[in-house]
Amino acid sequence: MKRLISAFALCVCLSGCATSGAQKAPGADLSKLKTFYVAKLPADERGIERLVAARLTQMGFEATSGAEPKPVQAADALVTYQDRWMWDITMYMIRLNVQIRDGRTGSILATGESMRPSLQRKSPEGMVQEVLTEIFKQ
Amino acid sequence: MSKKHLLLPLLAFTLALTGCATASKPEAMVATTATPVHKSPSAVTISVAGGKDTSKMGASQISNDSFGAAIKSSIEQSGLFAQATTESGSPYTLAAFIGKVDQPMMGFSMTVTMEVNYTLTKIDTGEAVWTKDISSTHTAKAGEAFAGVERLRLANEGAARENIRQMIEAVSALQLH
Repeated sequence: MKRLISAFALCVCLSGCATSGAQKAPGADLSKLKTFYVAKLPADERGIERLVAARLTQMGFEATSGAEPKPVQAADALVTYQDRWMWDITMYMIRLNVQIRDGRTGSILATGESMRPSLQRKSPEGMVQEVLTEIFKQ
Repeated sequence: MSKKHLLLPLLAFTLALTGCATASKPEAMVATTATPVHKSPSAVTISVAGGKDTSKMGASQISNDSFGAAIKSSIEQSGLFAQATTESGSPYTLAAFIGKVDQPMMGFSMTVTMEVNYTLTKIDTGEAVWTKDISSTHTAKAGEAFAGVERLRLANEGAARENIRQMIEAVSALQLH
């Protein structure tokens, strides 16, 4: 019985490891971006767009957020994201994807991802910080 | 029923549902177009960035190599360009950047949304003759595969196929020579 429980626990533990990373489109220059608009994902009821904008502000950029899919005022970059959540005792964010887009054309300039299963979970703020750090360290 | 008898099927069910992820296959991502394609006599060099390799314990992904191979085969089959290659030296280059592959964590029907930025450049002038972000979606239904990892792979492949199809139709409309 103990062996079975151990095997089951091992399966669950091995079913994922924390990963994070980012990629930049060929020729994209993120250093030119100063102003950002974070578009709220319509399905997001947790205010992740505000966390992204707050983190960008902490990083020294000028960032706003809102429900409009495109910036109302001109911005150098449009930021979009997809957050995925799971339940394990409590709800937690398992994956966050962020795309940095050209503010005028909407083309993706860079993309980043953080994936953290239950045992390696972080707060949404931590996930946002992790992804944005990955994107801008390139 | 004893706990042991309950745990064994539970363990087997967990393993069956999780399984090992397999990478999206190039041949399953090859697009076919419904409408006739304008055939350019030129050759094109294909490059892909932004893809991810699949790890056994992770989710099925689309790698640069497999997406590039699918684009190459799709172009060759459609006749969009006379030749498609990954080697440099062609009059045109087609650069694809996989900017987004939005995948579900689980589910009976699995929908993947993919966004790729394509840039077609004429080498002699260095001019980008066409650039476009193409978004595509595909849903793999519960009946298509038992294991979730397989349904996710099918959804990846369907989204990639549709993305390449849209790209071919858009480039065809340019009437390149």
